[in-house]
Order: sequence, then C-alpha cells, then structure tokens
Amino acid sequence: MPRVLTIEDDAVTAQEIVAELSSHGLEVDWADNGREGLSKAIGGGYDLITLDRMLPEVDGLTIVTTLRSLKITTPILMISALSDVDERVRGLRAGGDDYLTKPFASDEMAARVEVLLRRNSVPVTQTRLQVCDLELDLISHEARRGEQALNLLPTEYKLLEYLMRHAGQVITRMMIFEEVWGYHFDPGTNLIDVHIGRLRKKIDSPGQTPLIRTVRGSGYAIAEPV
Amino acid sequence: MPLPNPSKGWSSSTSRLLALYSFLFVAWSSILMGVLYFEVSSYLNKLTRHSMLQRQHLFAHMSGKQLDDALLASEAFEQRSFDAYGLFDAQLLPLGGRIGAFPAGLKLDGRIHELKQCLVDTPHLPQDSCDAVAIHITDGRWLVLIRDNGSLFVVTRIILDALLWGISLTLIPGFAGWYLLRRRPLKRIRAVQASAELIVAGDLTHRLPLSARRDELDMLAAIVNAMLDRIERLMHEVKGVCDNIAHDLRTPLTRLRAQLYRMRQQSGEDDPLAEPLDQAIADTDTLMARFRGLLRISELEDRRRRAGFVELDPHGLLLELHDFYLPLAEDGGIQLTLEQPASLPALNGDRELLFEALANLVGNAIKFTPEGGQVRILASVDEQAVSVAVDDSGPGIPSEEREAVLKRFYRSDEGHRHAGFGLGLSIVSAIVDLHGYRLLIDASPLGGARLMLRCARPLSPAAPV
Repeated sequence: MPRVLTIEDDAVTAQEIVAELSSHGLEVDWADNGREGLSKAIGGGYDLITLDRMLPEVDGLTIVTTLRSLKITTPILMISALSDVDERVRGLRAGGDDYLTKPFASDEMAARVEVLLRRNSVPVTQTRLQVCDLELDLISHEARRGEQALNLLPTEYKLLEYLMRHAGQVITRMMIFEEVWGYHFDPGTNLIDVHIGRLRKKIDSPGQTPLIRTVRGSGYAIAEPV
Repeated sequence: MPLPNPSKGWSSSTSRLLALYSFLFVAWSSILMGVLYFEVSSYLNKLTRHSMLQRQHLFAHMSGKQLDDALLASEAFEQRSFDAYGLFDAQLLPLGGRIGAFPAGLKLDGRIHELKQCLVDTPHLPQDSCDAVAIHITDGRWLVLIRDNGSLFVVTRIILDALLWGISLTLIPGFAGWYLLRRRPLKRIRAVQASAELIVAGDLTHRLPLSARRDELDMLAAIVNAMLDRIERLMHEVKGVCDNIAHDLRTPLTRLRAQLYRMRQQSGEDDPLAEPLDQAIADTDTLMARFRGLLRISELEDRRRRAGFVELDPHGLLLELHDFYLPLAEDGGIQLTLEQPASLPALNGDRELLFEALANLVGNAIKFTPEGGQVRILASVDEQAVSVAVDDSGPGIPSEEREAVLKRFYRSDEGHRHAGFGLGLSIVSAIVDLHGYRLLIDASPLGGARLMLRCARPLSPAAPV
C-alpha cells in the first residue's frame, strides 16, 4: 500500500486530505508543523508528500529545497493559499512536482496524487501507447483505432497522449488545461468538455466501445472497458 | 489615472503676488506723480500770474505816449514767444503791438484769464493756451497782455516721463521676476505630480519629494506624506482583514466540498439524494471558482513586479487562442474568425496573463452571441500599439454601461440569462493595468460589442516577427 505524508498545519484541511486519500486506499501520515514534517519526510520512506506552502517553524518552500538537496526524489504535491503564477513557479522551481491552490476539491487533490504516484508507470523508452484497440505512436504522432487511422489535430493529439499516459486514472479538467495548454487559470468548465467531446467523436465512433469515460463531478479517464 | 496638469489653467501664487505688487506700485507712483504735478503746476501758475500782475500794475497807471514807450521798451527786453501786448481802441480795434486781433472770449474785467485757444492767426505767439488780461487805460484804450503758460506743459511732460520710466522700470523686472519665480515652484509641482502619479498607479510606498528649503510646498508635501503613511497603514489593515477572511473561508469551503463529495460517493446512482448532492457539488464548485477569481484579482492588483514579462509573439498567441475557442464556438453555432496582419511586432508581457485576458474576452463574446452569430478576433498594428479587438454580433454593451462592466460582479441585464462569473472583465482589467495596456469598450462593426486591448509597444524597436 503506497504511503503518503501530509504536512499541513490546519487540522480540518489535513483531516479532509487524510480522509480522501484513505478512501483511495492509501496509507496517510500527518505532520502538523514544518520541523516534524521535514524529519518524517527525510526518514520515512514515503511514496508521496502533500505539502502546505505556509507552515509554522519550517516553511514549505524550505522543506522542498532541503529534500531535493538531499537527493530525496519523493514526489511532492504543494498545496498553497497563494495562487499567484509567480508563487507557483517558485514552488515548482524549488522542486515541487505539482501545485494546487486552496480552496481545492478533494477529488482534484486525489487525482493529482494518483497521477504523481504513478508518474513513472510509462517508461521513457516506450514509443507507443495502447488502450484496448486504440494505439498511439509517440514517434510518428499517429493514432489508430483498430484498423482505422485517426486524423488528430495537434491539440487533440496532446490531449489523447496525456490521457493515455495515465490510462485508468482520473484526469481533472484543471489538470488537462494545465498539461495540454500549459495555462493555470480557470477557463470555465465546459471549454475542456468541448475539446474532450471533439476527441471522443474521433476515437469513439458509433458502434465502437467508448474508451473515454466521464467521471462524474471530477473529470475524465481513458480505460479498457470493464 | 491622470492628474490635473498644473501648468494648464492653474496660476501660481507667486505670479499672483507679483501682479498685485506691480499693480500697487503703478497705482502708488501714479498718485505720487499726480500730486506732484498738481502742486508744481499750481505753483508755476501762481508764478506766471504773479509776473503778469506786476506788468498789469506797471502799465495800468500809464497812459498816452508814456505807455507806448514803456510797452516798446518792455517788448525789446521780453522774450517774443512768451509775452506779447496789443493796444486796442474803445471799439476793440487794434492800434499797435504784436497782437493783431482782440482775443476772442477775453472778458473786459481787468482780471487774468486762462484762454484755451489763444491767438490762432498771429505768428510767433502762443497758439494754444495762455494767460491773458485786458486792462482799461485811462485814455480810453484797452491794453491786452498775454503770457504763454507753456512752461507748465514742460513740467507736465517731465513728470509724465518720470512716471513712464518708473512704471517701465518696475514692470519689466516684475515680468522677468514673475517668469523666473513661477518656473521654480512649477518645476517642483511637476515633481510632486510625478510622485503622486506613481502613488495613484498603486505604489503606496512612494512619498512626495521634500526639498531642503522647508518652505510652504515642503510643508504641504510633509502633510500629504503623513496622510499617505496613515492611508498605507489602513490599507494594510484592510488587506490583513481580507486575507484573514479569505483564509477563514478557504478551509470551510474545502471541507464542504469534500463532505458533499464523500456523501455523493457513498450514495448509489438511484439514491433520491444523488441529484441534489450533484447540484450542491456543482454549486460549491461555482462558489470556489468565484472565490478563486476574487483572490486572483487581489493578487494581480498586489503584483507590481514584472518578472514574468518576456518578449512574446502575439501571432502565435492569437492562433492558439483561436484554436482553443473554435470548438466551443462551433458547438454554439457561432462563426469564430481570426484576422491578423502577416506580421505583428513582439510585445513585452506575461504570456499566460495575456492569454487569460484575451480568453476572457473571447469567452464572453461567444457566451453573449446568439446562435448563428459571429465572433471575430482582429489584430492590427499602428505606431504606438498592437491592438487586439474582439468583435461580436451579440446584443452589445450600451454606452452608459461601458464603465460599469469593468466593476467586480457587474453583469448587464442581458447577462442574467447566461452562466458566468461576472469577474471575467475585472480580471482582464487587472491584467491590462499590470501591463500598462488599455481596455477599450466600443460598438463592433459586426453589430455587437467590441472589446479591444491596446497593447503599447515596447520602446525599443522590436524586430518584426
């Protein structure tokens, strides 16, 4: 069972994180201050850390910097009340792997944790992705469903690649917008839905088993039909 | 926000004082000279009359041949142009002397009179004004004596000359001083204005400049600075309160969303609570999005650094924007077009923020345009700026609402029919302010609204992209 360390000074928020991650079958430890968090993070052998940006005693940014300088590569999801782009850049540059702003939806947080936990599931050397009979060639950027070649626009290709790299995982709209377009503001929910709709039309033609699944309230997932 | 320009329509107190002093000086010297003139001229007048009286007395007791001889003798001694005499018979016909005709209007009462018009047709005698007297001689003849009072005019001229010199010697240095004196305070006022503009632009830590002279302007600046200190402290307190409120809201919102989500996870698909729970989650998401929007605006307004600014290519940005919104527009039956010149100069800005601003404009345009309508992204370039206009064929924004739409949470009556955050344009406005660009709202040639970003070009000539 993957082990997660939550460093968060606010008890209520921490409780929600622990509850949500536990319901995803993760074992969660909680540290409520920076000093304890840092020592646990160094010695605990965790698979992932959720880290509040502003902490008593030792600041979140200092924790990331310290861990990275100690060559500890545990994935870190930074959770911050500061949503400014500069703040995000600073957090990621210090060595954070993902950045989430408060207030956040717990399923959004869980989806990000899942993606971080399995971020190395696709080896770098792999040149093609496959979900059921949907194939994506990472070298030639060609997609085919069964025998049918799919004509994808560059953005659609990026979107499909992102979903397929994380096949079986829930990807939220916010994650899609950040990863595929590289922006971090709120474009309004239905914009991403429209783009997914386009992609869906191309890969799930009538009569075929739909591969892109809508996860109610949260986002999307591409997976083998059960 | 531009401040009033002190050099237009404003006058400095120094120049006003100088003008007042000059006026007082001119008035005072005029009075002085006037009094002097009056005194001197009446004294000279008295002298003239005195000498005429002497001659009158001298000649009045003579008659016949004795008088004729005395007159001839006096004529030889006296200056021809000042004094003259004439002898007339009882019918006032000329008998002798240089006065050829009896002066018109001279009364036969033996008193000295001043004549405005003396002897017009007699050469070598005063033409304009003179003193004259008609004396009745015992032998029945009339003796007329006249004396030019011209010396009075000389005095008048001297005094007028003095007045003129005095005034010009006062006024010329006065004007020069006025010009020099008003320049210096104006220069300082301009320095104050420049500082004030920085403060208005949002740099509350800036203060008005103080000089070492400690004069009235410095006193005023010091008072304003003290006021600014207080305002800055109050702003900090208000911001602190807002941050606390925000902090206090974040946690319950996160928790509310999490609990609703967990309840929904535990309820089955056919649970009667499923639908209201989904609705509650959607509402909470909207609430959180608005909350994040508000935080985002205050962060943008706080942000003064331009560290994220890069030289960016508007061409690529607009293509990306168009591609991003095209599926949404097509789904809504709206034709979304992008028109831009073959090359646009590079802009200096934050790419992500500019995309966000333009995305808000295009998103709004699509939202407010009915099916079958048109939305156009139109880029153009001129000497000063690169402009990106977003035109739509929707209902447009009435001119009286154009200011108001930039306010937080403003929504026009038309807007109530659409879902939206009402914060979009405020975010655009904050981003535009951060860049020093301008957001213009106008009517579009397509029939709806035109929202245009005027992006000032960087000062250094950028290479065409």
